[in-house]
Amino acid sequence: MAPTLELDDIQGLLVRGYSSLKAACFLLLAVTDPPAARPALARAALRVTDGRTEPAESAVNLALTAEGLRRMGTLPPGLDGFPEEFVSGMTDPDRSRFLGDLGQDAPRHWRWGGPATPPVHVLALLYARDEPSLQRLEAELRQDLLATGGLTEVLRLATAELGDREPFGFRDGISQPLIEGLARTSRVTAARDGATADGDVVKAGEFVLGYPNEYGLLTDRPLLPDDGTGLLPREPGGTGADLGRNGSYLVFRQLHQDVQGFWGYLDDVTRRPDGTSDPAAREALAARMVGRWPGGAPLVHAPGQDDPARATDNDFGYVATDPDGLRCPLGAHIRRANPRDSLDPRPGSAESVAIGRRHRILRRGRSYGPRGGPHPPPTAADDTQGNGLHFLCLNANISRQFEFIQHTWLNNPGFNGLHDAPDPLVAPRGNHHATFTLQARPVRTRHVGLPQFVFVQGGAYFFLPGLRALRYLCTAAPRDGQR
Amino acid sequence: MPHQLAVTIRAALPAARVAEVSELLAEAGRKGVAGELFPFAEVTGVHFARLLVVPEGPGADGAAVPASVVYMGEVDAPLQAHLTDLVRKAGEGLEKVFGHCDGYPTGTASVAARTAWLRAHRIPSAAFYVNTVGRGRQQILREARLREAIEEFLDQQGAALSGAPPSRIRAAIQEYVTGRPDLAWARSRPAPPALWWRIRQKAHLLALPLAALFLLPLLLFALPAWAVLLRLHELRDVPSGERPDRRHVRELAACEDFGAQNPFTAVGSVKPGRFRRATLTAVLLVVDYGVRHFFNRGDLTGVKTIHFARWLFIDDKCRVLFASNYDGSLESYMDDFIDKVAWGLNAVFSNGRGYPRTRWLVLGGAKDELAFKSYLRCHQLPTHVWYSAYDDLTTATIDTNARIRAGLFADLGPAATRAWLALL
Ligand code: HEM
Repeated sequence: MAPTLELDDIQGLLVRGYSSLKAACFLLLAVTDPPAARPALARAALRVTDGRTEPAESAVNLALTAEGLRRMGTLPPGLDGFPEEFVSGMTDPDRSRFLGDLGQDAPRHWRWGGPATPPVHVLALLYARDEPSLQRLEAELRQDLLATGGLTEVLRLATAELGDREPFGFRDGISQPLIEGLARTSRVTAARDGATADGDVVKAGEFVLGYPNEYGLLTDRPLLPDDGTGLLPREPGGTGADLGRNGSYLVFRQLHQDVQGFWGYLDDVTRRPDGTSDPAAREALAARMVGRWPGGAPLVHAPGQDDPARATDNDFGYVATDPDGLRCPLGAHIRRANPRDSLDPRPGSAESVAIGRRHRILRRGRSYGPRGGPHPPPTAADDTQGNGLHFLCLNANISRQFEFIQHTWLNNPGFNGLHDAPDPLVAPRGNHHATFTLQARPVRTRHVGLPQFVFVQGGAYFFLPGLRALRYLCTAAPRDGQR
Repeated sequence: MPHQLAVTIRAALPAARVAEVSELLAEAGRKGVAGELFPFAEVTGVHFARLLVVPEGPGADGAAVPASVVYMGEVDAPLQAHLTDLVRKAGEGLEKVFGHCDGYPTGTASVAARTAWLRAHRIPSAAFYVNTVGRGRQQILREARLREAIEEFLDQQGAALSGAPPSRIRAAIQEYVTGRPDLAWARSRPAPPALWWRIRQKAHLLALPLAALFLLPLLLFALPAWAVLLRLHELRDVPSGERPDRRHVRELAACEDFGAQNPFTAVGSVKPGRFRRATLTAVLLVVDYGVRHFFNRGDLTGVKTIHFARWLFIDDKCRVLFASNYDGSLESYMDDFIDKVAWGLNAVFSNGRGYPRTRWLVLGGAKDELAFKSYLRCHQLPTHVWYSAYDDLTTATIDTNARIRAGLFADLGPAATRAWLALL
């Protein structure tokens, strides 16, 4: 029996991506004066959307960085119980090396979150039905958060109106894990969209702290000996207060997409012998980098051409249909980001899928820039304004989920027995001469010296607390010396 | 081709020198600098090498064992050639490190004297896993070059060969390789390890079961008693539940994730008492047997990403050192352990103090994910100086490269020819 999720204490973003709220923006804030910031955040916390029902008009969610938690002054400064990667943060030099944020992707060049820009402590995620509604919401929230001067705005990140395509032009948001306990409701939607893959139902504890995870265990989370307020949930089987319960970790990375560079490269390498562009070949090569056609159809089911009937098809594995990558290349983005049934030691088995379930993330990103949303053909003007993805994902264990996918699957040149081949779409190239191999019979073709198409321009790890924990963080008595 | 050896050299450090040597190694280890003091790349036959300080610990009778400096290498046989070359090429570095230890021949002492000292400070491995026994460093590096040459040839000739039948494509590759004198070696197969060594292995293969057969009555008699004792111990032993100190984790992280592979070094205390010591001795005997005879072809019970791993007893079996070289990150390594060989790790490490609770030696334990990961992190040591002769080659790549070479000039039928081309 799956435990019942306390939806009234879980922030709505964990439960749904607010697909009917097409407008969104993200406010990055710094705590400048903790005593004034606490009541300001407490006021904003009253607006936070929980997970019970799909909001029709607007939604607000709040998250804090490790430094933000410290600034609030209500927790022990060592942040015991929070994982090391969260506490040391995304821009710690060892983490940067691990994540591949080097060279031009290094935090010192970032627009936000890096050492060269003001620190980010609080993230406010605002969603609304349309742009005017978002403006009203934003005005109200600014009043709550900024009027008393405890918090200052570091940056406002705009997003493009939610469409079903990301800036390179591919349908996005097709494959998501379903949280056990919510699965029944989400399954209805999933079935409607034709999206039901085996192994997609994942234990709640993989995303929501305080519930059993895929090992049947509770992920480490911050516990307090006694919260003194009676506000927090009790630790199951213990005496302490559970600050983590119903919370999650939110990974935020601003990923700039070089749309022109991407399509320009594809155009160059697929030209006909007479030098003219070959749009069909260009699109086919792009599809093989992604693993789906721009319309969404997966290559394992639609190897030859896009198939609108399969636009949201997510019911496939790799081992039975395409073990050698002849349809969907072994290095394609979706084949790395979720290898489904192709993991060792027994590819094709239920065990393989079970191992994969320990490395899933809930993607909650939104595109930005003029090419987010519905889609004109690429023009040179687009990139000057900047296009990309505000990549957001939720997970309970950053090391085992987001970082694992990023390091061991996407950026790893040796993924899946490949060689010199990081993710063709999203990985940094570093000083590797990146190769993209199209497996074929009798012999493969390779694209050597692949340029980089996606660049990191900001980011941070956030804690997305449960509603009671959020209230506790802004209303509990500050600790000595933390005033 | 030679077989591979695990060399471990350990010597006590005077207490006053520990900080200095640790600092020296940490400094040298910061990428790139190590090569000046320890030019392992020039020492023949080195696959991997590391130098680190093992902190003091409890010895027999409660007496403390001082901190020590340890050199470990995974090298091609023979040992003497390696040590001599090491002293010749890395003499200065060795002197800076071992020069503080009792009796190390410094100054004008001969190479032979230093080599003899190193030999005398060796520690035998209780068990040593080699991903693929007999694959020497030179073979690995050469086969990577061969692969690269063939891939580039195909990139250039792709258009000309498109539409050609598999046999024609392979013939073109053969012709190309034949035309490259620097790849002449690829025409013949790599030689197997020395005959005497293979005979010794075969003898070992038979000896252990024979001994077991001989002792069978005794074992059958002892087994139930052992099982009862084991359960009693397991119920009584206290898991430490410790989470690693953040500073310690940062120090470890600073030594990790520079290339496709990482080193792992850990030290732990064996639980007190004769029972655990005897159990661990027996378990490592079985591990040794298993890795020598069965898990010597690229796969350690389902984990394929380990190049080398060794287990050794130190300090009168009061502590165990474990060292390995693996592909990927520590997180992926630990996940592999939990998902694929939890039972194997439990059998060994549950005899270590503080390990998560096991049942019947092999159940539970590592399945307690975060407790297990914390246990490993708590016992892990920073591998200050670490060298890999091929730090961009994963075990999977090395294996594919070897198969490409093996099939290149072999006599292949049509199906095998297609399979061979698919390796590229
Ligand atoms: C700008 C950068 C990126 C672009 C343009 C992009 C694009 C896409 C597209 C088009 C899909 C297929 C649609 C779908 O299945 O929903 C997809 C799937 C996916 N992506 Fe990305 N992605 C990006 C970055 C990332 C990053 C950084 C990660 C993780 C660290 C990631 C993880 C995933 C996952 C887990 C899937 C689902 C795979 C599956 O279940 O089959 N993506 N991405």
